[in-house]
Amino acid sequence: MKLWNRVRRWRGRRAAESELAEEIRLHRQMLEEKFIAEGMSRDEARTVAAREFGNTTAFVEESREQWNLQWLAGAVKDLRFAWRLARRQPLLSAAAILTIAFGVGANTAIVSVLETVLLNPVGLRDANRLVVARVRIDKIQFRHVQASAVEFREIQGMTDAFSAVAAEEGHYWTAQVGGEPVRLIGRSVSPDYFRVFGVNPELGRFFTPEDRESVVLSHSYWVAQFGGDHSVIGRALILDGRAYRIVGVAPADFRFPPAARIWTSLYLDPGRFRRGYNMNLWVFARLRNGVSVARAADRVNRYIGGLDMKAEGYEGFGYGVEVDPISDFVVGDLRRPLWILWAAALVVLLTGCANVAGLLLTRAAGRRREMAIRISIGASRLRIVRQLLVESLLLGALGGLAGLLLADVGVKLITRLPLESQWLNLVKLDARILAYGFVLALVSGLFFGLAPALQLLRESQASALVRSRPRWFQDVFVAAEVAGAFALVATTALLLRSLWAVESVRPGFDASNLTTAFVLKPNNDPGFPDRLRAALEASPAVESAALAKPTPFAGAELTSTFNIRYREHRAGDPEWHGEAYMVTPEYLHTMRIPLLHGRNLADSDTANAPLVCLIDAKLAQTFFPNEDPIGKEIEMYRDWARIVGVVGTVRGSTLEEGSRPIVYYSLAQTPFFPDIGIVVRSRVPAGPVIREAVRHANASVAVYDMASMEERIAESLGLRRVLAWLLAIFGGISLLLAVVGIYAVVAHIVGERTTEIGIRMALGAKPRQILASFAGQGLRAGAVGLACGYLAAAWAQRWIASMLYQIRPFDAATFVSAGVGVLMLLLAAVWWPARRASRIDPQQALHYE
Amino acid sequence: MEAPELLPGTLDMLVLKTLTRGPNHGYGIAQHIRRVSREALRIGEGSLYPALQRLLLKEWVSAQWDMTETNRKARFYRITAVGRRQLASEVKSFNFMVAAIGHVMESS
Repeated sequence: MKLWNRVRRWRGRRAAESELAEEIRLHRQMLEEKFIAEGMSRDEARTVAAREFGNTTAFVEESREQWNLQWLAGAVKDLRFAWRLARRQPLLSAAAILTIAFGVGANTAIVSVLETVLLNPVGLRDANRLVVARVRIDKIQFRHVQASAVEFREIQGMTDAFSAVAAEEGHYWTAQVGGEPVRLIGRSVSPDYFRVFGVNPELGRFFTPEDRESVVLSHSYWVAQFGGDHSVIGRALILDGRAYRIVGVAPADFRFPPAARIWTSLYLDPGRFRRGYNMNLWVFARLRNGVSVARAADRVNRYIGGLDMKAEGYEGFGYGVEVDPISDFVVGDLRRPLWILWAAALVVLLTGCANVAGLLLTRAAGRRREMAIRISIGASRLRIVRQLLVESLLLGALGGLAGLLLADVGVKLITRLPLESQWLNLVKLDARILAYGFVLALVSGLFFGLAPALQLLRESQASALVRSRPRWFQDVFVAAEVAGAFALVATTALLLRSLWAVESVRPGFDASNLTTAFVLKPNNDPGFPDRLRAALEASPAVESAALAKPTPFAGAELTSTFNIRYREHRAGDPEWHGEAYMVTPEYLHTMRIPLLHGRNLADSDTANAPLVCLIDAKLAQTFFPNEDPIGKEIEMYRDWARIVGVVGTVRGSTLEEGSRPIVYYSLAQTPFFPDIGIVVRSRVPAGPVIREAVRHANASVAVYDMASMEERIAESLGLRRVLAWLLAIFGGISLLLAVVGIYAVVAHIVGERTTEIGIRMALGAKPRQILASFAGQGLRAGAVGLACGYLAAAWAQRWIASMLYQIRPFDAATFVSAGVGVLMLLLAAVWWPARRASRIDPQQALHYE
Repeated sequence: MEAPELLPGTLDMLVLKTLTRGPNHGYGIAQHIRRVSREALRIGEGSLYPALQRLLLKEWVSAQWDMTETNRKARFYRITAVGRRQLASEVKSFNFMVAAIGHVMESS
């Protein structure tokens, strides 16, 4: 049949219907006239004609079906009916829609993150061909760290495995924009950098090996700073007071790494080619066609394995170079938490679906009459199943739409999470993700619509057996909900306890009321640090202020091996490796780090004075356990430095790790680094004060990366906190859903079996027996659920093991209390309806039907 | 004898056959079939109109509003070229079937 004709007819159906009505009216008129002509009276003729004609509506309907898109019309009708039904039971509908909305929303939001960081790292083209090469030195717990120029050159030489290799190092620039100093995050990159990532310039060109002092702009910087002006090529950009020639602009979709606004050409000084020296380079490579990541890694390993470690000075260090897919570099430690969250969101969605299925089942039971009547007047079973599915699909679709709105909100929240990982800023909902969410909602709709539909089919096929059919659905339902809730609750409990354990760790200094910020030292202005110190101290709002390189929790520790004078490193000694801080004398006071012994650094420790240092208690205990360290000499940065004092131990990078030994130098004696941190203790917000002091000291210096110390510490806990709380929310919701769902299902069974209970009681069953029978059934199913949940949680342990802190993966107390908690709630959910069953009055129950 | 039930699928054929005599409206078609079959076949209006709609959709007939001989506005159906071809093939298979049924009934 010609579909187009149907569609046309369907669209013009109003006109077609009135035509048909007119045709029929005429037909009847002619019939009547014929009868009159044959000798009937007018009234008689009308009656006979009407009789002969039969039921007009029935055949108008039939004619109509010819031009209707029948299935579509049916579906539309079902949809209307479903809509009316949904509105007639607003509470049930709202519960179903909200449940689905939450499940779909959470899933969609998390999948959008997965998509951005895991499946398609930040929009890189053929990301599966891209790898990162990182160094490991097991002996000092270095893993996934940057390489030195040596490894870069070595990997560049492996042309049998890699078609392009590039190195990149971070670079902070101060640019002059409209007379104001602005800090610009950039990357210095080797010539092949853009070739590795397979991008072409939007404008101009990328680097050649001959390029010195050339710059490529990111698309966003080009638009923001130059308004997308095409004549920008060849112009100069002033960076750190020097002119760099703009040679190209990167395309808009290339944002690797996301923070970079400009790329400059990397110049590797010949002096940098020493293994383990100046390890600042991220090395990225493109695999040659047909080479797998594993083969490339093997190639690199064989090379490193062939090196003479003794000659390299790395014997027994556990030194190696690891090759990983670039997605590892992008996600890092986010990978596992993300999969866990995704699984948790799926559990919530499935629990939600099971609940809605339970609700619909309850409703279907109340509609048996309606269904029976419809079947008896000729509706086909398929038609009714279709209608039930349309009803649940409608709920699913509405829930899906609400869920996508929720996901939108969720993604906005995710991009604002206080995490160190920059990549999350790039997460957004695109069409594919929205489609995923909506399909998920529809599948859920089908899924929970199937339960009542199947029940209907089964009942209609074997109505005599209805009473004796096994109630497997209810048992599976209870078990599944308990399993999901228990697995989530137990996992969450482990993570929350770890979080609290970490949060209660004291870093060794007073983090409250501390503000930190950074500046880049101006060239040709050696007096700048002293003027800055003076300006800060002169400010009445400042309680105390210091300069430091680095500052704790800023993600840039200085770590190095050290030597102790007159001592040989022996096998079995703790590794001579620690952190260094270069600080002004006020640092201890400002941070409230106690001076335990000896003297503080002083202003008299100038560049020309003898080199001195402080050590922390950890270093003192580890390396000078039975002697006074004061007066001993240690070599770490610069030269042999005399230890003049011992200070309290501080955790400077993460709260979780035990601290490393720390050496404090006087900043005046170790002015090696271009950036300095400012630490200010003040009762009022210190931002304006710091800016003012820096401007006062040198107006061309830009202040960047300002944050309170508490914010920085929170950031280091960010992932742990976010994961624990999100899981707590998911776990709480799935628990709530489980309780509500189980209550509803048991209550439904009780309602369904009222008569049976009445009969039993009339035959002498005690209320206690009834209660025990219902509660027992629920609890048995719940116990099975707990067992399944335990297995699921045990499986999930592998994924969260790295997130646990001061708690063992199978912590018995946590598991038992989570299990008892879930059981109590289950008991409550089963108890109330079961008690109602035990209080049924047999007389009433039997009169009921 | 009661008017026999129409064999399924034959109504379309009867309508098409009627229309080969010229355009006609619903009433006219019903009356014609009744008259020609000597009152043996009574086309229920209840099945005539759905059938006409079906034929329209298949483009075996076309329809147009026109004046009847008694000056009433009525919808006239006209058989199309496709309809004629369809009729020919239906008549053929119908005859074949009638013959086949005849053979079966006359055996024994």
